[in-house]
Amino acid sequence: MRSVLSGVLTGIGTAAFIDETVFHQLLHWHHFYDKSTTDIGLVSDGLFHAGSWLAMVAGLVLYADVRRRGTLVPRKWWGGLFLGLGGFQLYDGTFQHKGLGIHQIRYGVDLAPYDWTWNGIAVLLLVVGALLLVRASRTPSRAAPRTEPRTPSRTR
Amino acid sequence: MTSALPAPFTVAVATATVLGCLAYLTAAARLRARGDAWPYGRDALVAAGGAVLVAGVAEPWGTAPPFTAHMLTHLCVGMLAPLLLVLGRPLTLLLRTAPVPLRRGLVALTRSRWATVPALPPVAALLDFGGLWLLYRTPLLSVSHHSPWLNTLVHVHILLAGVLFSFGVLALDPVRHRPGYGLRAVVLLTAGTAHAVLAKSLYAAGPPGTSFGTADLHLASQVMYYGGDAVELALAAVVAWQWYRAGGRALRRAGRAGAGGAAAAATRP
Repeated sequence: MRSVLSGVLTGIGTAAFIDETVFHQLLHWHHFYDKSTTDIGLVSDGLFHAGSWLAMVAGLVLYADVRRRGTLVPRKWWGGLFLGLGGFQLYDGTFQHKGLGIHQIRYGVDLAPYDWTWNGIAVLLLVVGALLLVRASRTPSRAAPRTEPRTPSRTR
Repeated sequence: MTSALPAPFTVAVATATVLGCLAYLTAAARLRARGDAWPYGRDALVAAGGAVLVAGVAEPWGTAPPFTAHMLTHLCVGMLAPLLLVLGRPLTLLLRTAPVPLRRGLVALTRSRWATVPALPPVAALLDFGGLWLLYRTPLLSVSHHSPWLNTLVHVHILLAGVLFSFGVLALDPVRHRPGYGLRAVVLLTAGTAHAVLAKSLYAAGPPGTSFGTADLHLASQVMYYGGDAVELALAAVVAWQWYRAGGRALRRAGRAGAGGAAAAATRP
C-alpha cells in the first residue's frame, strides 16, 4: 500500500513540476497569474501548487522508506505514479481549466483540440496506472515483505 | 516614494548579526574544545544565514525597481535567513554552553507553557503569514513608507515571525512539545498556499495606497512566488528527513530488540 501511495504522491509532484516548467516557463502558454479575481480558483491553485511540492518530497521520502524496509513492490509504485500523473492532469484539465476557468492551456487559439488532447492523455495515464495496479495485485509479488526488516548495517 | 530601510536600522541589524554569528562560532569552538561533537555544517549554516540577513537589510540590489527590491529584502530577511539560522540550532548551542544560571532560566523558558505557545506551528504561521496579508492587503505598506519607525517595526516583525515559523515547523531545538509530523505538514501546506495566493494576487493588484509600475509588480510577485517555493521546499525536505531518520532509528531498535530476543532464546536451555 505504501508503494502505491509513494507512487501517487511522486506522480502528482512530477506532473505539477512538468506543468510549471514546460508550459509556464519554457513555452509561456499559460501563466503564473491568469485570473486573480476568482477567489476559489486562486485558492485551489495555490493549494495545489503548495501541495504538489510537498507531495513530491513526501513521495520520494516514502519511496526511500519502503525500499529500506524491503517492502517495495515496483509494479505498484509505477501504477501509483501513473495514477498521480493522470489524476493531476485530469483535475487541472477539468476543474481548473473548465470548471473555474482560472487558466487555459493556451490563449488566442481554438481550445478544443488542446483540451481533448490534454484530458485524453490524462485518462490514458489513469488507465495505464489502473492496469498496472490490477496486474500487480493478480500476480503474486516477487518482493513480498520479508519476515525480517532490512536494517541498516550500523550496529552498536 | 522610497522603500529603503532607515540607515540606523540597517547598521543595527548588521552589527547585531555579525556579533551574534561571532558568539555562535565562539560557543561552537568552546564546545568542540571540551570534547563535545558539533558539526561544522551548522557553523556554515549560521554564517550563511548571517550573510543573507546582512545582504537583506543592506539591499545591494539598489537599482532594482522599488517593489521588487522590497520583495528581495522580504525574501532574505523573512524566509531564507531565518531558515539558515534555525538550521544551525542556536538554542541547543546556547543551552549547552551558556553559564549555568542563564541555562537554568533558558530551560525554564523552553518548558513554560506560555513562552512556547508562539512557536507552535499554527500560531507561528498565523503571526507570519497573517502579518504578510496585513502588510500587503491593507494600507500598512504605503503608510510605513512615510514613517521610518513603522517601516523598522514591520521589518523586525518580518524577521522575528520568519524565525518563529522556521523554528516551530522544523522543531530542531528542544521545546516543551515537539509537534507531530502531520501537524507540521498541514501547517506547511496551509502556509505555502497562503503565500502562493498572496503572491499571485499581487501580480494583478499591488498593495492598497501604493503605485508601483506594472512590470515592477509582476517581477516582485514572481520573486515572492518562486522564492517562497524554494524555501518551502527546503522546509518540507528537512521535516521529511527528520521523519526518515526517526523511522530508521525505530527500525534499528526493532532489529536490536529482535536480535537480543533471539539471542536470549538461544541461550535458554
